[in-house]
Amino acid sequence: MPKHYRPAGKKKEGNAARYMTRSQALKSLQVNLNLFRRLCIVKGIFPREPKKKVKGNHHTYYHVKDISFLQHEPLLEKFREIKTYQKKVQKAKAKKNEELARLLLTRQPTYKLDRLIRERYPTFIDALRDLDDCLTMVHLFAVLPASDRENLEVKRVHNCRRLSHEWQAYISRTHALRKVFVSVKGIYYQAELEGQKITWLTPHAIQQVFTNDVDFGVLLTFLEFYETLLAFTNFKLYHSLNVKYPPILDSRLEALAADLYALSRYIDASSRGMTVEAKVDASSSSQSNDRAESELRLAQLQHQLPSSEPGALMHLVADKEVEEDEETRACKSLFKDLKFFLSREVPRESLLFVLPAFGGTVSWEGEGAPFKEDDESITHHIIDKPSAGHMYLSREYVQPQWIYDCVNARVILPTEKYLVGRIPPPHLSPFVDNEAEGYVPDYAETIKRLQAAARNDVLPLPGVGKEDLEDPQNLLYAGVMSRAEEAEAAKTKKKMAELEKQYHEELKKEVTGSAVDDVAAAPVVEGGDGEESSVPDAAQIAQDTADMPTLMMSRKKRKLYDAMKIGQKKKSESVERIKQRKKNLKADQ
Amino acid sequence: QAHTFRSSLPLLNQPRRRRRETQPERERERDSQMGNRSKTSRKGKKAWRANISTEDIEDFFEKSTKDALSGGNLSAAPSEDLFHVDKSHDIPVKRKIEKHREKALRCDSVLKKNPFVQVVSSSKPKSKISKKKTNVVESKTFKQAQKNVDDGSVMTDLWGDDDNNNGEHEKNPRKIWKMTSSIPAVEVDPAGCSYNPTAESHEDMLAEAVAQEMQKVYKNELGPEPVPLTIDGNNNIEDEAGLLSVCNRIINGKSAYFLGVDNGSEGEEEADAEKESSEAGNNKNARTTKRVTRVVLNKRSRQKALRKMETKEKLKEKLSKEIDSLPKILKEIAKDDKEKQNKLIRRKIAKEEVLKIRPPRLGKHKFEAPPVQVLLTEEMTGSLRKLKACCTLARDRFKSLEKRGILVPSKNIRRN
Repeated sequence: MPKHYRPAGKKKEGNAARYMTRSQALKSLQVNLNLFRRLCIVKGIFPREPKKKVKGNHHTYYHVKDISFLQHEPLLEKFREIKTYQKKVQKAKAKKNEELARLLLTRQPTYKLDRLIRERYPTFIDALRDLDDCLTMVHLFAVLPASDRENLEVKRVHNCRRLSHEWQAYISRTHALRKVFVSVKGIYYQAELEGQKITWLTPHAIQQVFTNDVDFGVLLTFLEFYETLLAFTNFKLYHSLNVKYPPILDSRLEALAADLYALSRYIDASSRGMTVEAKVDASSSSQSNDRAESELRLAQLQHQLPSSEPGALMHLVADKEVEEDEETRACKSLFKDLKFFLSREVPRESLLFVLPAFGGTVSWEGEGAPFKEDDESITHHIIDKPSAGHMYLSREYVQPQWIYDCVNARVILPTEKYLVGRIPPPHLSPFVDNEAEGYVPDYAETIKRLQAAARNDVLPLPGVGKEDLEDPQNLLYAGVMSRAEEAEAAKTKKKMAELEKQYHEELKKEVTGSAVDDVAAAPVVEGGDGEESSVPDAAQIAQDTADMPTLMMSRKKRKLYDAMKIGQKKKSESVERIKQRKKNLKADQ
Repeated sequence: QAHTFRSSLPLLNQPRRRRRETQPERERERDSQMGNRSKTSRKGKKAWRANISTEDIEDFFEKSTKDALSGGNLSAAPSEDLFHVDKSHDIPVKRKIEKHREKALRCDSVLKKNPFVQVVSSSKPKSKISKKKTNVVESKTFKQAQKNVDDGSVMTDLWGDDDNNNGEHEKNPRKIWKMTSSIPAVEVDPAGCSYNPTAESHEDMLAEAVAQEMQKVYKNELGPEPVPLTIDGNNNIEDEAGLLSVCNRIINGKSAYFLGVDNGSEGEEEADAEKESSEAGNNKNARTTKRVTRVVLNKRSRQKALRKMETKEKLKEKLSKEIDSLPKILKEIAKDDKEKQNKLIRRKIAKEEVLKIRPPRLGKHKFEAPPVQVLLTEEMTGSLRKLKACCTLARDRFKSLEKRGILVPSKNIRRN
């Protein structure tokens, strides 16, 4: 409907004019509900909640401008065209003209979503900002079983799988991964790209099911859009690394379902640049004109590269990349000189993604792996069984949780607690801010101490070197612990000094009579346990300082103060309760 | 007779009429002179003969004389004498017709486009500009596409010309992509949902899950019973009220309708009784009132005047007081305004807070939060291998879409 034309009896302003129900929208767009839903999803137009629901509470409302925005979408015309074409095909089929139907199907009109992506995300940063949902969806559909009933084709599942691997390869290549959290739902990852924090959820390696309360048609429409979006994003990201985008993978590795590894090799090889290319040309000069042939050779050649030291390879490339912030460097060097081997039962996909992202070298049990289990240089063997069969003395056998915890803490944690057959310490969420929550779990405190120790530990400890292959980690741990204790002592000293300073300041303030604002700090002074030993009278004085201003305050302020106190008390009580619970639990055990 | 004849004549030849008028007059004169003529009958042949007109003959003579005077009869003259072919401007007929056709009617010419008048378009000129620009962009991307085809890939860099076009995108007044809510797309589970959580946080999460479950149970138990869609006829009789009514019908031999009428009549009777009693009361009151004497009236009027004075004074006082307390009032108004604004802000914040937890109501059904994914205490093994993980991530995604207000929550999506 043109904007200057208003039919008689139609409202001119207000909610009645600004919003229309879904059925009205369908009528004015002349499409069916299915098409409308698709169009809305693809175009990013969602229902709104008007202040006044003119037609009642049980309707869905859309903004009139949104609908007219849809009206001008060229895709609408395209969808109509497709619909009429489908009718032709149906007609041919109904007339038993199979040949015509087949012919028509081969020439079916198609549509592209490129323009819409550009329209919805004018800049690349916009696209990155909205990638959370996209990544989660693509990762989810990569593990769903193909199903005729839900119209989920094998091709699409494979495409999702490819896209997700491409994304992971890029992230691990650029060491942009920041946090990992293994929850019941799945594994949460957080990466930082161009200042944007991107969080996504990948399912565990178990069979996902189709449930009845989910409309998969809608999800598939979303997926269609997201596939395109992720493809373009990957394209941009890969080109920023000077890597050709639709990557050509080693078919052997692909067949062995080691796509991610194949991809990382591809990136390594192609960002290493011309040398490899030249080699290929030299070796296959007779048939070099055939592009596909040479690409195949390239992929094969990638496999022939010295596989024992991809770390060295990475260094070669890494030197070229200039701008890296502090965190990226820290992430890159976390597992720098460590070599991992994954057992059969550990979540391979996830670890193959996480370990290279933090600078580690990985292999796994199975064909196509870069190195075998009996490699002497392996430092860590990831295992998730109650007991390992044959154990090499040169390496440590740890549970997969150790890797995730190390990654989150950015420190190589002592492996003692994570050894085979033991119940590992709790897996803490890196997404929770303990300070804000007010309660810090025990293990978080331990990790903090270790972190502090690692930060102080600029030089390696003199007594412990790499030569001590028997148990380097334990010795390191002992050293770290002593260091940690030292740090803690220093910390308490500092704290006491601070408390004293605060106390003096408060006394001063009391003299000037402006202590009202800082009353809240008084109980803290009181609570400090170091205080009482050093200044015996402090408690009494603090009590007075706390009381005086309350007496002087107006009623209103006093009430406010009381309310504040109650709030604080509640918070501390809840913390106390948690602690109590914990104590009880321990007692039970 | 003469008169009737005259009237039938054409009016145009005036002189002839004059002549005709004169002829009977002359006859009449002749008749009067003869004297005996009037006595004879006028029905005879003679009388009729006198009435025959000689007009045509006269006309002919008149005409011939006129022709003779003007120079000959025209009809007799040859056409060459009458006409001549004009050969001065000899335009071909065809051209003449065309010339005629070329001439536009004014009504058409008015509607024709005037090159000197600028067109006032009904649409915005902005869109035209943007169209041009998009064309440029498309051609650019097309070029890039070709380049990429040379490279061997089919895709193009969508954001390749970001740097150039930033300004244009900012200029675009319509914000196409608007976040529907502040709820993040991927909400990270709390620490208690970890596969190997700390005991405390796990207990917290478990408590939350139990609370969620119990809430459902309580709602079922305490909520009103749903209205049954159908009721059996047999059940109705078993109903106590139904039974009673049926019994009544049987016993009284009256239908429920009549019973209702009876009740109404009873009510009316009661009302009547009340009316009567109230009337009786009024009569009593009338009797008790005393007559108003003049003294009392005077007193009343004085009091009234006094009261009027007092109120006037009070009003004055009040006014003066208000004038004195003007600054105070101003302050109060300012305070009120401030409070109102605070209230507004508070409401806004509260609304936002609510939206963070609860999605907007978009359709018939309310959003129902999915159950919390947390391990039971006996399921906590600390091993990733033995983890009993969630296998309904698709549902989680779907619920997330609903929660963010992108999809309309609905019930019973599947028909099986």
